[in-house]
Amino acid sequence: MPQREPTIRNPDKGYVALLGWSLNAVEALDRFDRRYVVVAPEWAEEYCVEHDIPYVPWNFERLNDRSMEIAETLQSEGVDVAIPLFEETVEWAGAINSVLLDNPRLYGQAMLLRDKALMKRRAQLGGIRVGIFEEAHDRDDVTRFLKRVNQTLLKLDGDPNDPIHLKAFDKAGCLGHRVIRTPDEVDTIPDEEFPILMESHLDGWEFAVEAWVHNGKIKFLNISEYVTLGYSVFVPATPELERYRPQITAQIEKLIKTFDIEFGFVHPEYFVTSDGEMYFGEVAYRPPGFKVFELLERAYGFNAYHALVLAFDPKTTEEEIDAFFPREVVDASGVAGCFGVYPRRRVVSELEIPEETEDDDYYESHDLSTPLEETVTKRTAFGTHWGLVYFFGEDPYRMRDLLKKQEELDFYV
Amino acid sequence: MKPTADVHGEATTLDKRVTSLDDAILAMAETREFGKHTKLRRLLEALRRVLLQPGGAAAVQARARALEEAGLFLGTDWASPEILIPSLVGAGLHSGDADTVVMEAASELRMLAIARGDFTHPTFPAEDARQFLSQVLAKNVELLFTTPGEAERVQRGRTARLVRELFRHLAEEIGYDSVLDDLVDEIWRILRQRPIQVEAAQSLITRIAVYRDDPEIALGASSGQGIDRLITSLFGTTEACREDPGIDVFRSRLEAMDTGGLQYEATGFARAMHDTGLVSPYHAELLRYLLRESDYLLAEALGLSDTGRNCLLRYSQLVHRLIEVAIHPQTAQSVYGLALLLDRGILYEPPVVPSLWRQLALELSPVARERLTTVFGAEPGPQARLVAGVLSMLGQPLGVGQGDNPTCQSARALSMWSYNDPDYLLQMVVWAARDDEVRMHFEGLPISSKDSGAGVASTLPMDLDPVSLLVVPHLDRIYAEMGRRCATRPGDPHRWVNPEFHGWWAAREFHINVDVATGNLVDLDEFLRQFHASYHPFYNGEQPLIHPQPAGVAVTDSAARYVGWHAISILRVAPDPQDVMRVYFFNPNNDSGQDWGDGVVVSTAGNGERFGEASLPFDQFASRLYIFHTDPLERGEPERVPAEDVARIIGYIERSWGDDRLPGGTLQAHEGPTAPEA
Repeated sequence: MPQREPTIRNPDKGYVALLGWSLNAVEALDRFDRRYVVVAPEWAEEYCVEHDIPYVPWNFERLNDRSMEIAETLQSEGVDVAIPLFEETVEWAGAINSVLLDNPRLYGQAMLLRDKALMKRRAQLGGIRVGIFEEAHDRDDVTRFLKRVNQTLLKLDGDPNDPIHLKAFDKAGCLGHRVIRTPDEVDTIPDEEFPILMESHLDGWEFAVEAWVHNGKIKFLNISEYVTLGYSVFVPATPELERYRPQITAQIEKLIKTFDIEFGFVHPEYFVTSDGEMYFGEVAYRPPGFKVFELLERAYGFNAYHALVLAFDPKTTEEEIDAFFPREVVDASGVAGCFGVYPRRRVVSELEIPEETEDDDYYESHDLSTPLEETVTKRTAFGTHWGLVYFFGEDPYRMRDLLKKQEELDFYV
Repeated sequence: MKPTADVHGEATTLDKRVTSLDDAILAMAETREFGKHTKLRRLLEALRRVLLQPGGAAAVQARARALEEAGLFLGTDWASPEILIPSLVGAGLHSGDADTVVMEAASELRMLAIARGDFTHPTFPAEDARQFLSQVLAKNVELLFTTPGEAERVQRGRTARLVRELFRHLAEEIGYDSVLDDLVDEIWRILRQRPIQVEAAQSLITRIAVYRDDPEIALGASSGQGIDRLITSLFGTTEACREDPGIDVFRSRLEAMDTGGLQYEATGFARAMHDTGLVSPYHAELLRYLLRESDYLLAEALGLSDTGRNCLLRYSQLVHRLIEVAIHPQTAQSVYGLALLLDRGILYEPPVVPSLWRQLALELSPVARERLTTVFGAEPGPQARLVAGVLSMLGQPLGVGQGDNPTCQSARALSMWSYNDPDYLLQMVVWAARDDEVRMHFEGLPISSKDSGAGVASTLPMDLDPVSLLVVPHLDRIYAEMGRRCATRPGDPHRWVNPEFHGWWAAREFHINVDVATGNLVDLDEFLRQFHASYHPFYNGEQPLIHPQPAGVAVTDSAARYVGWHAISILRVAPDPQDVMRVYFFNPNNDSGQDWGDGVVVSTAGNGERFGEASLPFDQFASRLYIFHTDPLERGEPERVPAEDVARIIGYIERSWGDDRLPGGTLQAHEGPTAPEA
């Protein structure tokens, strides 16, 4: 079997450390011109050794006395910068980079980006619009907040409540995300989920942004359009949403200034209300979930992990990164979207892609798993989907309708 | 929303899907080995979607090299085309797993690209690829001739259609003519093993006959050498049924014939039957008609030897009754069994004739009647079916097959009894058919099939001959129960089970070269020397084997990798026509001709085999053997076996199943249970 030529690593460019194990990221870096090392728990060792992947073992538990050790190990290795792949490794990257780049503020910045309550306050201080939010330590706090939010909205007794959203402080995306409408529902929250962040519901159009930042400037800004939160996303967005690009860009510039972000990658979520006002939801300093990186590669042809390395590497030049990125929207060869499948029935026995989906021109692939158990666990929070279905085509509106349509279909029967 | 598939017309749909396929191939190609599996899903989906379109197979064929180089086959058996086996392709294509079907289809299209010279493969020459595909087509020829059955359609939906599109493309590229040649060779190869069950061969021949008569298909003049003989052995065998006129017309023609005409018919049928092992339904009708004529003509129609003729004349009344009851156009195949039964001379063994009279009068249990009727239909009745089955089994002891069931031990036992102890077999049939219960003893304690729990097979087997159909479920349970009674004993249970299960002649000393606890090989040198001393004429005092002996082999696949333990019986050891010492054995598998890898290819014809025998050169056989029985009082001369002979055999073992002596491994097409053999 003829094998791909080994990648030539450029010694004049940076040496990066990936924090956390992601096969997609490793696979991408393996064919990029930067030297790299994977920092991951010991269970990854065997695989790395077997496949000749540079590797340093580390357990990402809470930061402790030994945290300095990994920073020093990487420093003596000659590593220039650490890149967080998961929410849990963001503070580690901050701590490590404050050593590697000799910039102690990076650690404080990372802590801001890790705690949703701190993050909102900082955003507020920076003049960014956020919804009403509060921390809750027990169920009484939640009930009180629900009442107060609805009083503020001038609801009378008996009117249907506006919901509130509960989120864990330090978890990624939809994990632990609940929607509460009535005081009865408050009782369903398990003790171990407290403390928790509560937010008012914003009746707007939610979207996410992926922005690569170099020397404090945005180098590439993607707008990911959600069809239904937790179900589907596609890139680039419809012209309907893309028309807000100037405002969105201004918001992101404000954001990176407020959070003092000089380099790297941010993934914030916003709501745009019907009057065109932007509300900040939250921001993450790591790659997004829902395979948005893969969608970007499908739509634009560049590898988003390569982009991540360029944005983090202090040795990347302005010309290099400018040459790397295509132009937003106009350079996309099409629209790439994916749909997260949850079984709709209580009892399922097999995976069956609906013919309607499979026959569609836009359908490309899926990574759905075959059911292991017949009874589907009831979803309380926004649970984990059973896999994604991928689409690619020319028309963003058709993509949006197509993704919406999938919500009515059974993939598990 | 309406799918847009047809909006742009089919060419565009295919183009789009092909573009998507090319992207997926590229994505995998640029990924290093460890990450390739992350790109696999997309590639498989893209392939499947292309293959579903008309013209898709050609598009994939054109990308065969790109697919292979991207690493589609990496880490699978498909990565080494030289170890692939045509007969396993069918299982892949019929798999319920769509990914397996797509991989298999892609592999065939790669073969096609290699065969057509579009892709010079580093390890697989074009001629081999062509031959491989011809065999694949030959073995799956039903995919060319038929549309998917209801069950297949429901279970696999469009995948079934994909497979047929693939086959149409393969056949168009490779050519139907060569398929037909190989197909005919294949049918002959199977029939030369003289199986009792010939339904599969019959249906293939019928289909070819229909196909050949299709005016839209032009066959080359030389196509299908030997097919005529196969077709005429079933239809139009003789003058009186030349144009396949139907039984009634045939009968009226017989009635108008003089003795000379009947004699001509009789020898014509007999020749066809002994030539192919197939019996025409007209042949059965002829026998029934000849009952009124003479035993001389009956003997002619059965093509009997002197022995057979003698038996017929001596037991004329019994033979007449057997024909009246059992031989009908629907059971025509048992005519062959009857002829061989008479030729074997077993009617001269005192208990056999009265046993057959008992069989003719036997009242079947409701369970037996129902099972026979369910599987074989109501005409002729279950009792006649069973007698017909008995004739086949007694006439063709080595034609017994286990079907698609893990019951090699039971099939082997039936074959052994028929070969060696026919009246015991007949007794077994009575117990199973009349009483719905078989009793055996294990070390003095009775075992009833009624009281025993589950056997090796989890479901009742259906694809068997009438005798096996009734007896195997009982034997299977008893065999499993004997195993359970040995569960606490150290070592391999076959040491005790084999002699008790098969009969007194299964020799009492037991040799095994696998340590049951660890799965590791043990005492190889002594094991192999003793095997020579017990079975090889040079070292056992030139003593031919007297009774068939149960033995266990480690079956390996064509890459010589361990597949599973399997029960066979050793029938004889003798020099072949080239003076190579060979072991001739019975394999209850339906097709004994198997490639066990490392040059060990089991032969079924052309090396001195009798019908139904499989054979290997002595040392190659010894290299796959792991269990055998011997008589403790006959030591032979183990010390005289040359060290280099032993070393050569150990070499074969080390290069195959002994390579990494741990149990486990996947099951190839029902070789037998993965639990310790028998």
